[in-house]
Order: sequence, then structure tokens, then C-alpha cells
Amino acid sequence: MGTKKPCAQEIISSYDGPRLRIMETCGTHTHEIFRLGIRTILPPNLELISGPGCPVCVTPVSFIDEAVMLALEYGTTICTFGDLVRVPGTRYSLAAARAQGANIRIVYAPLDAVSYAKKHPHESVVFLSVGFETTTPASCLSVRLAAAEELTNFSLLTANKTMPGAYRALKDSADIFLYPGHVHAITGTALCEEMVKEGVSGVIAGFTADEILTALAVAIVRHWEGRPFFVNCYPRVVRPEGNPKAVALMDTMMDRCDSEWRGLGCIADSGMRLKDEFAAFDARRRFHLPPVTGHANPACRCGDILQGKCRPCDCTLFGKTCTPEHPIGACMVSNEGACSAWFQYSV
Amino acid sequence: MCVGLPARIVTMNQGMALVDAGGARREVSAQLLDDLEPGDYVMVHAGIAIAKITEENSDETDRMMEDLF
Amino acid sequence: MNQTVTLAHGAGGRQTSELIDQVFKTHFSNPDLTADDAAVLPAPTGPIAMTTDGFIVSPAFFPGGNIGKLSVCGTVNDLACMGAKPLYLSCAFVIEEGFPMEQLEQIAASMAATASEVGVRIVSGDTKVAGKGQVDGVFITTTGIGQLTDGVRTSGAFAKPGDRVIVTGDIGRHGCTILLAREDFGIETDVTSDCAPLWQAVRSILDVTTDVHVIRDATRGGVGTVLYEIAAQSQVGIRLDANAIPVADSVRGVCGMLGLEPLYLACEGRLVIVTPTEQTDSVLNALRRIPASREATVIGEITADHPGYVTLTTAIGAQTILPAPGGELLPRIC
Repeated sequence: MGTKKPCAQEIISSYDGPRLRIMETCGTHTHEIFRLGIRTILPPNLELISGPGCPVCVTPVSFIDEAVMLALEYGTTICTFGDLVRVPGTRYSLAAARAQGANIRIVYAPLDAVSYAKKHPHESVVFLSVGFETTTPASCLSVRLAAAEELTNFSLLTANKTMPGAYRALKDSADIFLYPGHVHAITGTALCEEMVKEGVSGVIAGFTADEILTALAVAIVRHWEGRPFFVNCYPRVVRPEGNPKAVALMDTMMDRCDSEWRGLGCIADSGMRLKDEFAAFDARRRFHLPPVTGHANPACRCGDILQGKCRPCDCTLFGKTCTPEHPIGACMVSNEGACSAWFQYSV
Repeated sequence: MCVGLPARIVTMNQGMALVDAGGARREVSAQLLDDLEPGDYVMVHAGIAIAKITEENSDETDRMMEDLF
Repeated sequence: MNQTVTLAHGAGGRQTSELIDQVFKTHFSNPDLTADDAAVLPAPTGPIAMTTDGFIVSPAFFPGGNIGKLSVCGTVNDLACMGAKPLYLSCAFVIEEGFPMEQLEQIAASMAATASEVGVRIVSGDTKVAGKGQVDGVFITTTGIGQLTDGVRTSGAFAKPGDRVIVTGDIGRHGCTILLAREDFGIETDVTSDCAPLWQAVRSILDVTTDVHVIRDATRGGVGTVLYEIAAQSQVGIRLDANAIPVADSVRGVCGMLGLEPLYLACEGRLVIVTPTEQTDSVLNALRRIPASREATVIGEITADHPGYVTLTTAIGAQTILPAPGGELLPRIC
């Protein structure tokens, strides 16, 4: 063996180049980076920015209002991932709606919501379909199963989103993207390669301590070389072609639509909704929901925080009126949000 | 954004896979992947197997670091 | 006798007597339990400890125990944490109309078995029957009286910088068991509740030293919540070694699937003990001789810095804060 090569952690903690901003665009990355204490080993010129990678954070207030309306006024049973239960709506969170008598059930998987609907034919079951490309195939499978079984009491309230629009909206906010491993396990690496042509650098990272540190180290070393780059640091899970069956399933069942991102506003073509042939499984169309406008607090700076323009502690609400118990803005509502992580992990 | 859990396939049955993670077992959909067999490792998210895992985490990161210099 | 509990069983007449005679007296029988309005008991010498706790666990039966065993363990363990030998228990049942009599018998039998294991007597009881839907199956409230061990004073306020933090076994099993039994997550494991009486474990410590600063049982909210309480009461920091925290593989697997933190899953048979450094080895050796605390291990230490916070030395050797306890445990996908 020759001289010992520096390990990933050494490369990160000894970085002394010009200011370098790396944006993680995955809530699980944000969460793990805080949980592992990775921020505490960063030198002053290396910044990690928590981008809009948490589907709960970017789900607009109006979505929660729609879900609460479906539960309390339309008497439906809401099946949801646990993440959404505490997210505040304009008037109620789902937890508060449950205290008002709403039937809110936490499920592990969209397919479990179909099983529940099958077992409870007298309830009308609505699954709250949030998530990015990783999660959307699971929602599609649930509709495909419900259609195959001719269930008439199952539908989705969709707020599914796709990442490409967000990358492009945020490309000036960071020098390097830490791309979300599990989104690209579905979509593959073509988009990341395309981003290089647009001058945007990034690495796909996995989620263990080793994987995150390695991806950061690779990003730093490649950045020294001075040209835009892309490296897939998670090939054991992310193939260049992604998961073609999952992509085909989404293309068969979903159409692109404009979508509102809490804190960022509307991004064109960044949403997904069920195609017309599946309208019977789309809660908005099935129940003819009236248009809902949610009201966010105007003092909230989540949009700036998601774009890396300010830090959570720069917001006047942070830690005062806006806390994990009483979240006001998008970034405080989920455990994975930038503000929530800052709040929970700082003394 | 997406909590994924690496798990080992125990049995396959009609598009569903029984997976095991440290003794916690659950059926997940295997419909989005081809050629899965018991013993394979998959990444599980929201009740579906989204990708087959081809290598040990530590082997891969070691190789990444090797390739870097 | 009826197959299920009816409102008549709670009306105070013949059927109430039947229920008490055939279910409770049969199992709880001891010289201090009489048909009179109150138990008359010899007073122990020295100070006593007294505590009460309500149990509403759903489902009432779960892998590793049931609400009866839990209702005895919970109160016995609260006494034990004060260094008090459990002497007497009272129990009050609120039973939902229609509850299967056979299950009530099993619950009473578990309570009796657990009480006898500890050497505590059930000396007083009450039974009420509530209409269908007014309670969920059966609720039990137990009250306990214990005799304080001479020279022992423990409190959440007594932790001092330099002390070691011990946990008496792998964490989160009860919370994990109940979560899987209650919710339809489709996850199967061999995880069972750690529900166990802990007086024997506490006594084993007090036999070797009375110089123990804190003994707490990590119930609702888990070890993490107890540690935050100690940090606040003692105005100290607590630094844990993330790699040293014992978690069963299957609990870790479930936590992985559902995105949960084992430190915040309930335990019902685990103590968190804070001892001066010089007592740590003898306390560990004593604990490891008792079945319920065989896996006792040091997970961290008390620090003067970061008062009020629990910090972790993580897998990469960095320092981070354990997020403070939140509310309801919610499985997450993102």
C-alpha cells in the first residue's frame, strides 16, 4: 500500500476553498445529515442548504384544507402517511379534524388503503397521495388494483410532484445538488446528465452515513476540477435507466399539471394528476370539490429558506411563534423540513 | 424525501414479495421489478420494491473513494 | 356464569358478588384482602412511598403480556424507582359491557402471577361496568404503597456531571409491540413487549450500594423522554453514545420501515439509572445477575455542558442533539 488516501470525512472537514454551497434536495438527506451531526464537521466555507425535498413541506395549505373538508363535510375516511397528520391547514390539521370526529387512518402504503377500502365497503376511502417520483408509482399501483377489483369506494386526493422543475427553479441557489437517491432509482440519471449540459453540477447520494459522506467528498473533489459534473454515487440502487416499469406506470396513469409548491409558488408542469380515464378515482373530480384557497402566514420566509436565500434563524417567526408543536410555515411542519431540523438540533 | 429500507426477499407470490429487514417482515409489491428471486435485496418504499440492490454499501463507497484519486 | 360482562355485573347485586368471588377473589386471594370496605394493614416502620397509575392499553392482550400484567408492573416499577419495596396494591376496574369473561379471568390471573413474583399483595379492589362504547374493553387503575429502603434517596433532580447513564436492556420493545398490534401496518415480527416487574433489579442494586442518583422506568415516551426529564430536573446535559444504545434487530427493522426513533418508543420493563462513576461497575454486575436486567449496559454520561439537552455521539463521531420528544408517534415515509 502506498500513502493513505484521505477518507471522505477528512476531505469534507479539511475543505478550505472558496465558499461552496451544496443543496440537498431530499428530506431524508436533510434528516440524516442532522441526525448524524454532519453539519458539525463542516468547515466555515462549506454550506449545506436544505432544499425543497420534503413532499410534506411543499404540500400547500389548500391540500390539507381539501382533505379536512373531505373528512368532515363529505364524511370520507382519510388514509394517509403519518407525515401529514400534524401539518396545519387554514383552520384544522388532520389531527385536529380527528378530534372533531373525522375518521383519519395512518397507513404504511397506498396499497394498504385499498385493502382497507375493500374491507370497509360502506366507507368512502380517500388516500392522500403526496410524494415525488419515488412515491407516485405506489399511488398508481393502488388505483390500478382498485380498478381491477372494481372498487367504487376508493380514490386519491393527489398532490404528487416531480423534481425536474424544482432543480431548474433552484439551480442558482447552490453550486452543487445532492440529488435524492430514491427519486433517481425511479427516474434514472438522464436528467442529471442533462443538468450538466445546463452547467449544473450534482451527485446522487444514498442514505447511510458512509454514502452521504462519500457523495459529499466526491462533490468537493470534482468541484476542484472546475467543470460542471455529475456522479452517481449510489449505483447499487440507482441504475442509469432507473426503474422503467415504474416510469411507464406513471406515464400510463398520470398527466402532468402545474403545481403549487408551498413556499415556492406554482411551478409549471411539476405536478401529476390522474388521467381522465381514471377520473372516478380522483377525489377532486369524484366529489366535485370546490376550489380551495389556503392562507399562509405572510411573515413566513419558507420560500427564501427553501431557495437558500436565508437561514431559518433569519425568519422573525422561527422558534417564537413557529415551532415544531405549532408550525406556521412549510419548513417547520415536517420533521424533515429545514426549520424543524434547525429547531430540533440546535441548542 | 423518501425513506427507503433495504430488505431481503424471503418468498415471492403473485407479484408480491415477503421481505425481511432485521426480522421485521412485510409483504410488498414486486410488480415494478423483473426477475426477483428469494435472497435478493431490494429497496422498499411505501410498500413497493423500487429497486434491486446490487452491492454492499461499504464496497460501493470504498470503490467510489478509490476512483476519486 | 355469563360468558361476557354485563351491566348487571356492575350494579352491586348478586351478579357483582359472583363476579368478584369467581374472578377476583379466586386469583387475588390473600389474608389482607377481605370483603370489608377497606383493607386494614400493619404500618411499616419508616417512610412509605405511594403512587397511582391508570392503564388503558389497546389491545388489552399483546405479545409478551396483557393489561393486567402491565397494571401491576407499572405501579410496582414506579415504587421500585423510589427505592421502595412494593407492599400493597389496590386495583380498580372499569369494564366495557360485553367484555369476554374468559379474558377478564386471564387478566386477573396475570395480575396475580405478577404480584406474587414481586411479593406484593392486592389488598383492595373495585369493579365498575360501563355501557358499550364508553370504554375500550377494560381500563385498570392500580395504586401502590411501598416501604422506602433505609438511606436511599433517588430523584430525577440528582444527576451530576460525570455520572454514568445505564439502561437495563434493549429499548423500545413495548412501544413497537403495541404499535404493530394496534395499527394495521401488515408488519410481522418476533418482537414482544418487555413488560416486567423491576423491583428485583432495583433491590439488587440497593444490596450493593445506596449511592445511586436517579432510577426511572422508561415507560410512555421511551428512554429519550426520561432522559430529557432528567436533564431538565437536574439542569445537566446528557451525552449518549449512539452506538452503545441497545436495540433489538427487529425493533430496528420496524423503526426503519416506519421511520421511527427507538429512543422514543415506550418500554415497560426498562430502567434508566444514573450512578456515580465509581459505582457503575458494581451496579452493572448486580443488575446482570437478574433476568429482567441481564443486558444492562452504559449508554452515556452526565455532562455540565448543554444543560437541559440530550446529545448523541453519532456513528461518524460527531456530536448532535437528540430532538426533544414530540407528541404522538407518527410513522413517516419522507
